[in-house]
Amino acid sequence: MPAPSTTEAARRNRNLCAIGGGVLLVAVLALLPGVASPYTLTMILPVFAYAIALLGLNLLFGTSGLLSFGHALFLAIGAYAAAVMTGHWGVKSLELVLLGGIAAAVVVAIPVGFLSVRYTRIFFGMLTLSFGMLFHSFLIKFYNVTGGDTGMSVKRVRLLGLDLSHLSRVEFQTGPLYYYALVLVIAATLLMWRIVQSPFGLHLRAQRDNARKAEYLGVRVHAFRLAAFVLSAAYGAVAGVLLAVRSGNADPELAYWTHSGELVFMTVLGGFASFVGPLVGAFAFIFLRDWLMGMTEFWRLAMGGILVLVVIFVPRGLAGLAADATTRLRNQFDLRSRR
Amino acid sequence: MKGQHTRGVLRRRDVIKGAGAVAAGVAVTGFPAIAQNTSLKIGILTPKGGIAATAGENGLRGCQWAVERLNKAGGIAGRKVELVVEEETNAQQTIERFNKLVLQDKVDMVQGVVSTGVALALGPVVEDSKKLTIMWDGTTQDGVTEKLPDARYCFKSTDNECEAVMASLLAIKHFKGKFKTIAGINPDYSYGRNNWAAFKAILKRYGIEYEVVAEQWPKVGNMEVTSFVAALKAAKPDLIFSSLLFADLPVFMQQAHAAELTKSSLMVFPAAGWQHTSLKKAFTPENMLFGHNTLYFGHPNPTPLQKEFVDWYVGTHKDYPHWEADRAYFAMESYKTAVEAAHKAKGGWPSQDDVIDTLKSGIKVQSLGGPGWFRKDNIAEQTFIQGLTTHKNAYDFCTLSTFDTMTSDVLQKPAGADFWKWIETAKFPV
Repeated sequence: MPAPSTTEAARRNRNLCAIGGGVLLVAVLALLPGVASPYTLTMILPVFAYAIALLGLNLLFGTSGLLSFGHALFLAIGAYAAAVMTGHWGVKSLELVLLGGIAAAVVVAIPVGFLSVRYTRIFFGMLTLSFGMLFHSFLIKFYNVTGGDTGMSVKRVRLLGLDLSHLSRVEFQTGPLYYYALVLVIAATLLMWRIVQSPFGLHLRAQRDNARKAEYLGVRVHAFRLAAFVLSAAYGAVAGVLLAVRSGNADPELAYWTHSGELVFMTVLGGFASFVGPLVGAFAFIFLRDWLMGMTEFWRLAMGGILVLVVIFVPRGLAGLAADATTRLRNQFDLRSRR
Repeated sequence: MKGQHTRGVLRRRDVIKGAGAVAAGVAVTGFPAIAQNTSLKIGILTPKGGIAATAGENGLRGCQWAVERLNKAGGIAGRKVELVVEEETNAQQTIERFNKLVLQDKVDMVQGVVSTGVALALGPVVEDSKKLTIMWDGTTQDGVTEKLPDARYCFKSTDNECEAVMASLLAIKHFKGKFKTIAGINPDYSYGRNNWAAFKAILKRYGIEYEVVAEQWPKVGNMEVTSFVAALKAAKPDLIFSSLLFADLPVFMQQAHAAELTKSSLMVFPAAGWQHTSLKKAFTPENMLFGHNTLYFGHPNPTPLQKEFVDWYVGTHKDYPHWEADRAYFAMESYKTAVEAAHKAKGGWPSQDDVIDTLKSGIKVQSLGGPGWFRKDNIAEQTFIQGLTTHKNAYDFCTLSTFDTMTSDVLQKPAGADFWKWIETAKFPV
């Protein structure tokens, strides 16, 4: 058996490091309820939800080169699906609610995606923004159906068939729901990793880099973009269900363009070029906003300033910054070893 | 400001004094003395940005004035009050801020919340957190249906439709026989839709014949109202009913004036008091039915409390307060009164349940705009003021030439009642 080349060895090392880092992170998150305050844990739940949404969004943005400005649409669909299923249909199982949310998002994503993926860049962004705002208008206007501005309430759900109604909301969120969401994040991350590394992911990257060339090579550009769009919508719906179950409410603000903007902000903050960037972005955004809201009433201005600074000085986001620092350290270490 | 302990409410000297008292208390009586000598932490949730920012600011000023005043008088049952202010934004984020106040800042109780959309989502969280919360202007009504009828910890404002019911009654009182065609321009959310529906239902109840010639639904806070004004002008209504209350109201009024709608139509605006200083004489007509809700700053015979507050507000902020200041004052005063009554009855610091039971008992307080209390179902009863506008005053905006005062027990449905059925059978004062 021939010895592995230097490149292969380096890749293997990188993968081992990534797996090790991932396992360590999961272990830390799993042990967190034992040490962190209930408030911190309630703040991590939306991090999990947004991490899942951003994994989907980055399949479009980072992998496929399509920046959606209306992705909040699918989070809202997931949230409202949870409200309808738990409130009107009496469904208690979170698993069924998740499936229902995904199904609703897929049904909407197919026609929306079919129309949108024929365009790229600003045109794709504007189209997705339009569809998002169309849904927001529907939620506001048809208030007899959707609850209008006040939204719809989401009832307490069962996890894996377990009735946990005896737990207080905080106990439920910082215990069973926390671990449930953590498992969902892990599953969503592994699945997305597999998708991105598959030939399908390769096709998406190829059409991102040069759509015409990819088409010449046999890549069905529109079909692959549509598949990515539908997948990202499903991820968004899962996030929407989690957010709604956590707050007990689905409201039209979830579909509003500013929420879509926040999703893009999180992705840029974390680094869209990196697979883990969106996960980092979700964490950084939620805790940064929480900190700034406690510091100043001008937190929106501060968040805007930070976004400007990130785009100018750290275009690869926090994950890119961390990757650069790791590379620099590794190079210094290698240099010292050779000496 | 947010998240900070409000400046002036608790000073370093007060803290040192408090610490000394705590130390003395511990030395003499042991650990339980801490409960009575430490300051009371009250969390505040109020809008700081967006269309409700001015209302939030007005409420916060009313709340801070109440706290400064009661701290000067020795606090609540001997404990100084310290405010922890967080921002009310959308439902999801406000729940996070509420969690922060309760879980991290460990406040003794929470006050605030202006939006019913937020309150509706927050209500169940409050109940689940078992933390006494008194809302300024938020209800837990989905439309006109109470969604938290058995609330224990969550105390809510008067129903949103109170001002519409009062305006409808006064429209009949002042304008009966002067209109046949009516038009509505109301914000496109449940508040606007229910107010308009309530107005029509009350006209029907009193056998007033009317024809609706236009119904306009601008988006909340939408500043571009040209097309709506044009539609109203084309409809030529005898009377216009509007629940506009955000910054879009002055814009609408200017354009309505330019289109001469203010000359040709009677105007009924139950919630205009939120924008009272922006509704200038130059474009706001006289004899318009104008709702000041629970605080009319220009009351010709104010209570000493209202006079003191309005003088302070004008002197400090060079502005004139509206009802959100009263709602905030009412929340603080209700809590203070209930704690002190329970403290007196118990002979020691009361538990949260004692305070809640006292609030539920209907203990009456004097708020800035008049008396108020809470019903057994945790819904507030307050005093409402509406009247006809005049230009005869020293300001550049309208005040009231004549007005009526009603308590909300005749303006809102009783506990458990259906709003629309109640309208059909209620005994109204007009």
